[in-house]
Amino acid sequence: MILKQHSARVIIANQWDRFGLPFLLAVLIAVFAGLSESFRTVYNLISNLQFAAMIGIGAIGMAFCIMSGDFDISVGSMSALVGVLGASLVPRFGGVVGVLVTILLATALGFLNGVFVTKLKIPAFITTLGMMYIYRSAAYIYTTNTPVYIKDPFWLFLGNGVVLGVPFAIILMVFCFAVGIYLLRKTPFGRYVVAVGTNKTAARLSGINVDGIKLAVFTMVGLFVGIASVVTAANLGSVNPGMTGQGYEFQLITAVVLGGTALSGGNGNLLGAFFAAMIVTYLKNGLGMKQVNSYWQFVAFGLVLIFAVGVNRLKFTLLGMRET
Amino acid sequence: MKKIRYLILALLIAAVLLPGAAFAQAKTIGFSLWTMEYTFFQAVEKGVRDACKDLGYKYIMLDQNAEPVKMVQDINTLVGQKVSGIVITPVDPGAIGPAVEKARKAGIPVVCADIGKSGPVNALLISNNFKGGEMAMQFIDKTLKAKGIKGKKVGVGPVQPQWTYARQRGEGFKAMAKKLGYTVASELVVNPPDAQGGYDTMQQMMSAVPDLVGVFYCSGREAVGAANAIKAAEKDIIVVGYNGDPEEIQAMRDGIMAADIAQQPYNIGYDSVKLLKDIFAGKKYEDAVVPVDVAFLTPDTIDKFQADYEAKMNR
Repeated sequence: MILKQHSARVIIANQWDRFGLPFLLAVLIAVFAGLSESFRTVYNLISNLQFAAMIGIGAIGMAFCIMSGDFDISVGSMSALVGVLGASLVPRFGGVVGVLVTILLATALGFLNGVFVTKLKIPAFITTLGMMYIYRSAAYIYTTNTPVYIKDPFWLFLGNGVVLGVPFAIILMVFCFAVGIYLLRKTPFGRYVVAVGTNKTAARLSGINVDGIKLAVFTMVGLFVGIASVVTAANLGSVNPGMTGQGYEFQLITAVVLGGTALSGGNGNLLGAFFAAMIVTYLKNGLGMKQVNSYWQFVAFGLVLIFAVGVNRLKFTLLGMRET
Repeated sequence: MKKIRYLILALLIAAVLLPGAAFAQAKTIGFSLWTMEYTFFQAVEKGVRDACKDLGYKYIMLDQNAEPVKMVQDINTLVGQKVSGIVITPVDPGAIGPAVEKARKAGIPVVCADIGKSGPVNALLISNNFKGGEMAMQFIDKTLKAKGIKGKKVGVGPVQPQWTYARQRGEGFKAMAKKLGYTVASELVVNPPDAQGGYDTMQQMMSAVPDLVGVFYCSGREAVGAANAIKAAEKDIIVVGYNGDPEEIQAMRDGIMAADIAQQPYNIGYDSVKLLKDIFAGKKYEDAVVPVDVAFLTPDTIDKFQADYEAKMNR
């Protein structure tokens, strides 16, 4: 009997782990589709998925970072800085160079964050808080606070283009998630990230190069922020040194945590972040369409976040585990 | 496990395939607004809403929540809803280009109500900033003459140079000063753009040009800061501000600010929809900048201005 009860609990917990967020997303879409004929058009659903890409792609790096036990709050400012720098090169060197520079520079800045955290032993919160100010100010200084416009068709395609009826941003997001999930599940690197996040000392004693893993994780944050910045800049047709990426760090952290990754590290769910990015995007879209006042929209986001994390915690209780 | 999978799939399919009700015959105006947090934008929104009601249009408003990405997402949503016309008060005017292009390709005219524009918009309705600056200088001139003051040195506290449209307030002021034979003896960009910035720059102006007779601050809170600096220094300098916000009105009631140029956000919103109506009727607008009249406020006219505003907001 006890065994039966136990196994029922485990089954429920495991089912939530696998299907909880897709189910929440499906309910959300079904409810809004029932309420609004405009919401349920294919155009609207695809168009919004495109915007989920900006959060989704950025959330991949952030998920690895949080799984390793750290987080990076410089991502919004980083996005503005690399965006204005990359976009400013387009008139002289073309869109391809602009895009590559944006991504490479973001990767380099991520690496720099990692160096501060691992080599200078400055806590990630302090490092990335400091960098948040520095990157944002550098973007202001570089542009004298004027937006940089993007007219290059190649760059614009990355955010607005359509391949066989599917927006390119969505294809890119799916590809990035496939790479992320492969890294997490099929490579030693993924296991090491989780090990470092679970118990740094134990990981070190097991022979894992903890600093190396952390450095790689911060570099990955930069890489994915770079890719997301390119897509966002294309969607907006410009990069604004002051506005680009404002609040982006919280959007990413929200997606990752909503996706089932524990803020304390160690446990991670990339597919969850994928669904979470969609939930946040469709919730915004659906509430807006139903003319819900923006203050109430924020209340709804808060409730969904608390609900999802609460259920996640319940999952651990059902499994008889303590969330690490 | 399979059952759950099927349930999720069924929910998603049902959501997409639910038959769409035929769109109503009346024209629909979609409005994408920076935020409902500020009174200025609440007035723009009321103007758009009232115009839709008066002209018989359906009205949909999407709040950008001050996020450029959400703004673009919302404009795309309105395009997907096949609205008849779009009004945008953009949080980031530089970022609407690709979304406006999509709307225009779908045959939907786009009008910006205040702030600025980018991409192929039909028109931007914005306060007549240049004229507002001219009015400020004309008032200073008239007041000085009435007081018999002969000084010819005035100052100006312009906004940040990258604010393309608001910058014209200072330009209008300077052009009129030149015309009326005054010297703009001091010009300091107000930074930070708030009351403290206004106070600090005014102190600097008074130190650099002790015989200043009048000053125009191109934004409201900055003007109030400047007026307080003048009061603290016990000087007699005429201060004119720009915006028509409650702080400025209070400063005029307190007698430390002489006049204010008030923007009329309700009219900006209302006229945007009227302009869309003209476009529906076949009138051509492409990348046009349409100035909206500003109001001139002195302590004597505040009460009437406020009563008119309240009447519009409560209609």
